[in-house]
Amino acid sequence: MVFSAKTSGSDEWKAVISAISTLVEEATFEATGEGIAFRGMDPSHVALIDIAWPNSAFEKYECDNDVKFGVRIDEFSKLIKRADKKDSIEVSISEENLLLVTIGKNKKYKMRLIESSATDTPLPKISYNARIGVTSTEFDKILGDIQVVSEYLSISATASKAEFSGRGDSGEAVITLEKGMVEMPEIGVKEESTATYSLEYLNSIVKAVGTVAGTVICEYSTKMPLRLEFKVANIGRIHFYLAPRVES
Amino acid sequence: MKRTAADIRKAIETNWNEYLSKYGNLFSSDFISGSSPPSVFVGTYGYPKVSVGPMLPPVHGDTTILDSPEQWLGKSLEQIVNYRLSLVRGIQNMPVTNPTGKYIESLHEVAMASRPIDSDIQFLKNTTPVTSIDGENPPFGPIGEIKTAKFSNSSSDKHIQKIYYDKDLLAQDSVLELYNKGIEISRIQKCFSIGMFGKNRKLVPTRWSITATDDIISKSLISEIMQFDIIDSCQVFFFNHIGNFFSVIIFPSRWMFEMQEAWYDQQGNIGFGSDFEDGRGLDHYPATAGAHFASRLGVTEYLFKNKVQAAALVLREIRPEYAVPVGVWQVREGIRMALKQKPVLVSSFEEGLDLACKSLSIDKKEWIAKSNLQKARKQKSISDFF
Repeated sequence: MVFSAKTSGSDEWKAVISAISTLVEEATFEATGEGIAFRGMDPSHVALIDIAWPNSAFEKYECDNDVKFGVRIDEFSKLIKRADKKDSIEVSISEENLLLVTIGKNKKYKMRLIESSATDTPLPKISYNARIGVTSTEFDKILGDIQVVSEYLSISATASKAEFSGRGDSGEAVITLEKGMVEMPEIGVKEESTATYSLEYLNSIVKAVGTVAGTVICEYSTKMPLRLEFKVANIGRIHFYLAPRVES
Repeated sequence: MKRTAADIRKAIETNWNEYLSKYGNLFSSDFISGSSPPSVFVGTYGYPKVSVGPMLPPVHGDTTILDSPEQWLGKSLEQIVNYRLSLVRGIQNMPVTNPTGKYIESLHEVAMASRPIDSDIQFLKNTTPVTSIDGENPPFGPIGEIKTAKFSNSSSDKHIQKIYYDKDLLAQDSVLELYNKGIEISRIQKCFSIGMFGKNRKLVPTRWSITATDDIISKSLISEIMQFDIIDSCQVFFFNHIGNFFSVIIFPSRWMFEMQEAWYDQQGNIGFGSDFEDGRGLDHYPATAGAHFASRLGVTEYLFKNKVQAAALVLREIRPEYAVPVGVWQVREGIRMALKQKPVLVSSFEEGLDLACKSLSIDKKEWIAKSNLQKARKQKSISDFF
């Protein structure tokens, strides 16, 4: 079996690990001829991350047999953090079933793998009625603005504008983005939609990957899950799904 | 006439002082001979240097009941307090690290003993009885610093012995293995506190070891429960003993747990403590301290036994009749007992909450205002959309 994946810098792995670490302590990656994939939910099943990292995004990629490998995220993270921004990272699996990680020219790590307990996680079946693209710096700011008064973010979108709002014991907040503003390069609404999501989950994922993503695409429908798409250079995409809060 | 907390404390103190005057010479002496139930105790004061020793009454015979909370259900508060007060606590001070040496090893034998163990303790000075009961701390019998301690030979519990000699087994796995073998929680906890488990053995103050034991076991049950299918009905359970009223609502949801406690202070004001957790676990030390873990253990045992996943809300109302706190075992056993009763089936969580609050004197509005589970219920899960 041959599996080996090399990135030219270390930001990609850092973004992937930091995204996953917001939800789980152990992760199982799946490598196939097409690339590396990860999918997993947090223990309370509120959020799901789906990562597709295509072979074309690597400097060098080889995989002639599908392979799953499980890691403890804290262990893997410590090791990847030893890489400088420009260090290449090459990952492969040894015959003794250890993860071999080569950082830059001369650092070689071997790390234990864990038994993968992951079962196949499906994706939620949703048709999205609203699609909003917001720059990641603006999105991060909106979350901060709402958090001053609320633990939850409500999003309402019409054809011409998106409204981000929150309310709590101390008061209310609304941030409006009109079509055509530079902070919102994209808005497409099939049907006016409103839904509410937990800021706790949104904050942690945006802090983890927002900074390396240029634009965050938010897709959702009324009282349905939100899907955030982070386009990270050299990773394809990271999809973050978040279940809504519903007043019953 | 309704008895107040002060009346009950007074009655217990009077009983105790009568007992002392009758058997005073047995309690206030520099020597004691009796059968330890078996029982050992590790204090918190002065940590990491703590007081460690056996507990025993000044009588011989089958004294098991005196330190077996699993058998105390149905006893009155006075009886339970008298059990506690009749145990004389011998102490020696020592650091928690490296629990070895002849004294500690003899205490290991005590903790492992499968029957009460005859003991002779010579104290440095006469033991001093504690005659006042303050209502804040669990009461205690007299205390004395040990000069010499002799324990008769005893036969050890085979399961505990095996774990004791396995120096590679982690403390956590030791607790789980003994629990799965059916060893009582109070027994596992004593062995834990006296430093009999794990690779790097340490003394653990009794109070912490009780919480740790409940926490380790229920955490392990939660990880199993989260794999089970979600329960399809809403159930409400009730139980009350020694002035503690419990209502438990079990309802369809992914695993969530909240325990709320309310009590009346001397002025009749209501005090509250409430802690919520979901599948990610607790993110703080609970306001209700050991009671959170003890009630979580009772609930997880029930769900695990029935192979279902659910969310649970535990309401504990402490009435003034609970004049002397006697330890979190009463929460654990109270919840276990509640969940052995026939549940009332209701059609929704709201209906369950109405019912649960009806048997309590504190209003539903008050409980709801302190609840984080109420907020969390609005959060859907991604698996609802698969």
